[in-house]
Amino acid sequence: MKLVHSPGLAAIAVLALLAGSCPLVAQYLEPAQLLHPSPESWPLYHGDYSGMRHSHLTQITPQNVGRLGMAWAFQTNQSAEIKSSPLLVDGILYFTVPDNIWAVDARSGHVIWHYNHPTTEGLHIGHRGVAIYKGWLYFVTPDAHLISLNAKDGSVRWTKEIADVTKGYWTTLAPLIVKNHVIVGVSGDFDNLTGYLRSYDPETGETQWQWNSTPPVGTPNSTTGGMTWMTGTYDPELNLIFWGTGNPTPVLSGATRPGDDHWTCSIVALNPDSGQLAWGYQVSPHDTHDWDAVETPVLVDADFHGQPRKMLMQTSRNGYFFVLDRTNGKSLLTTPYGPTNWALGIDKDGKPIPNPDKEPKPDGRLIAPDEGGLTNYRSPSFDSKTGLFIVDAHPSWSIYFAKPADGEYGWAGADYGVWGKGVIDAIDYQTGKIRWSHEVGRGGSGAGVLTTDSGLTITGDAEGNVLILATSDGKTLWHAGTGASIQSSPIAYELDGREYLMTSSGGVLFAWALPQGPSVADRSEIHTH
Amino acid sequence: MKSFRYLAILATATGLVAFQAAKSPVHAAFSASPGRMNASSQVAQPAAANPTADNIGAASYAKHCAICHGDHREGILPAFPPLVGIKHQMTDQQITTLIHSGKGRMPGLPGVQNEELAALLQYLASSTEITPAVTAGAGANRKGIQLTGEAAAGGALFLQNCAFCHGRDAMGGETGPDLTQSKLVLEDKDGSQISGVVREGRIEKKMPAFQFSSPELVSLVAFIRARVTAAASMKGGRRGVAVSDLQTGNVEAGKKYFNGAGGCAKCHSPTGDLAGVARRHEGLQLEERMLYPRDAKSTVVVTLPSGEKIAGTLAYQDEFTVGLRDKDGSYRSWPTERVKYKVDSPVDAHVEQFPKYTDDDIHNLMAYLQTLR
Repeated sequence: MKLVHSPGLAAIAVLALLAGSCPLVAQYLEPAQLLHPSPESWPLYHGDYSGMRHSHLTQITPQNVGRLGMAWAFQTNQSAEIKSSPLLVDGILYFTVPDNIWAVDARSGHVIWHYNHPTTEGLHIGHRGVAIYKGWLYFVTPDAHLISLNAKDGSVRWTKEIADVTKGYWTTLAPLIVKNHVIVGVSGDFDNLTGYLRSYDPETGETQWQWNSTPPVGTPNSTTGGMTWMTGTYDPELNLIFWGTGNPTPVLSGATRPGDDHWTCSIVALNPDSGQLAWGYQVSPHDTHDWDAVETPVLVDADFHGQPRKMLMQTSRNGYFFVLDRTNGKSLLTTPYGPTNWALGIDKDGKPIPNPDKEPKPDGRLIAPDEGGLTNYRSPSFDSKTGLFIVDAHPSWSIYFAKPADGEYGWAGADYGVWGKGVIDAIDYQTGKIRWSHEVGRGGSGAGVLTTDSGLTITGDAEGNVLILATSDGKTLWHAGTGASIQSSPIAYELDGREYLMTSSGGVLFAWALPQGPSVADRSEIHTH
Repeated sequence: MKSFRYLAILATATGLVAFQAAKSPVHAAFSASPGRMNASSQVAQPAAANPTADNIGAASYAKHCAICHGDHREGILPAFPPLVGIKHQMTDQQITTLIHSGKGRMPGLPGVQNEELAALLQYLASSTEITPAVTAGAGANRKGIQLTGEAAAGGALFLQNCAFCHGRDAMGGETGPDLTQSKLVLEDKDGSQISGVVREGRIEKKMPAFQFSSPELVSLVAFIRARVTAAASMKGGRRGVAVSDLQTGNVEAGKKYFNGAGGCAKCHSPTGDLAGVARRHEGLQLEERMLYPRDAKSTVVVTLPSGEKIAGTLAYQDEFTVGLRDKDGSYRSWPTERVKYKVDSPVDAHVEQFPKYTDDDIHNLMAYLQTLR
């Protein structure tokens, strides 16, 4: 993307803006650009279609990161914690909390516009961000609507219902744009509901297709659930999107849903043009612990045991690390990456075999990990240079209860976390062995992970410290206390030749960068890919 | 989709009294959804032929207040507070002043006087019958619970902010405990305990602090109380863990485990620290404490570069800072790279035990601990 480079042109542009017209046609983000995002953009929730959350920027290095400082901070002045990943397009950041979108100047942190339309229905538990297609934003609401807004000023173009909030659905995710499809998923764990993915026309908002993860409500001996509440990934060569599905319902009691309960707790590959299922892989057959498999399905093309492979990797909430061949959904590796005690072993297809005695019982069962899982929605990162899959893990123990009196609806039981801690684990994808671990504190951290080409791993600890570690060995290179817990995944971008790392804590967004000034002697050459 | 909702509100208003244009600009926070209002059969009573204070008050409310504070005084959060239960927050004189002078984005309405004012104040004091969204979509096997007044307003707040963790019915959800069986809730006579937890959060349990106004807190407490009452009368369908559920263990086996494989006796004694433990705690709370006592303290000894040693209770620890409270209760901290320090956390023995327990061990241990009365 060529931005305005000469001061003269910039002045004209500013004048033009002041005059209320814009002769410079903004370079709206075409879907084709999503295939190769520029360093000056972060146009998708995961940064790109692969879900690696890896930046090719190299200006900030292990050698100079000690001089990193705050470029600016943006205060939402809201108690809602930022859980979203900002999008960055044409120098403007778009990020969210439930019912709110901010458009913020990525150079200064000043607000350009703010959309704030409170909804009174639906759970306001969190919001992951917006999607952008050409000049339009796509935003989901707690009451399960999809809103298309003009990225220029936040004005609403149209609103479509994704799901019926009165039935118990709500929505939190950042939609995924693939070609001319706006793909959204749903949330809803408190009721026995069908989970689904739906694709919308980006211009008209017409529904293009819907894929249901579970049979219709009321089908005998079958499950409901399989919510689709995290943004998936996409392989343009295979023309497949990869999406994680949530737990079955009733959540903690499996009595009314015998068998594996397809496609709950699964990774599914769908054709983005038709919504047709190419393959599914269930990481937790017959789940009774609320272990949604919605964690990022990370797409990696690399050698596996001597053969080039198109892989999909997931550190799943159930405590296991999965490597699949994404051309066919076949298992390459399954291995626990922390304490797990609920499986009898791994079957021939790489799936954990649930131990029936570890299903919730009236007098309780001790279970590892806890309901939040060994990891959750915060992004992991894959660093191709080291072959490390780096994840914010949460070794934890809990007790699970269910009894007939709890019924067969919604939660149908109760579970209680007993203890947990946070560890940033660097997993060797070829073996599943943990190359290094970095303790991040009691209770655990809510920070996702970002890696960069210069060998940095950006994350956070349980106390609200932003951490930058050396990807090679996990040693701390830099930190800053931010005063609130981190519940989001970092991003990185470059503007005007300056690299920014972006994190959030509580309701504040932070942009970190090297000091600006005449001295750029220690800046390494900027490589962009 | 603003117009739809706007029209709906106006339609409601016109049904009550001949419509008069609102004197104030409309800032109502419209939901971004196509005109779906909470379907509720109960709206303020239209004025009858013989006006009584009741319907004069209702009509006055509909005319002046409903546009922002909702048809049923439920508020349009977060911008416009609910007025349900406002009489518990303010005196008639305070409310009158507010009506006449306005506040913040609320315009003053000096024209509301005499009979109308008295009727409006009386209307604001009356209770309201609402079935909030809390009971919507709860599935065929759940009965909607009629909530009144404050509890209904609290229900809307609860659904948005609390339901994900504590369950839509406050009986436990994703990670949060069942509030209807919470000791704190049950022992809290005036709502101050519940409000305190909501305002301050519980950092160690991952509960965030919420910035609710006093009226909002009152309504939340009312909702939780209503749920406690409802839960107590529910047959079946109940979540949570009763004391009777945790009686499957064997006392002798538990005692043996306590003194042997469990290693409990290394730190604990049935006649010492655990004497009477079953009188102090029971059921799930006792089991949770048994598995991991969250409030256990660690001690730390910090050795300064000078060689001076300072001991105390560990107050803060991350990778970069270690803090303690010394014997005088003063907080002191040091950068971890400048000092040597040794933390002693006896409670870690509980963590080491997790992978070693069988579920029977836990049930037996519970049976034994429950004899220590």
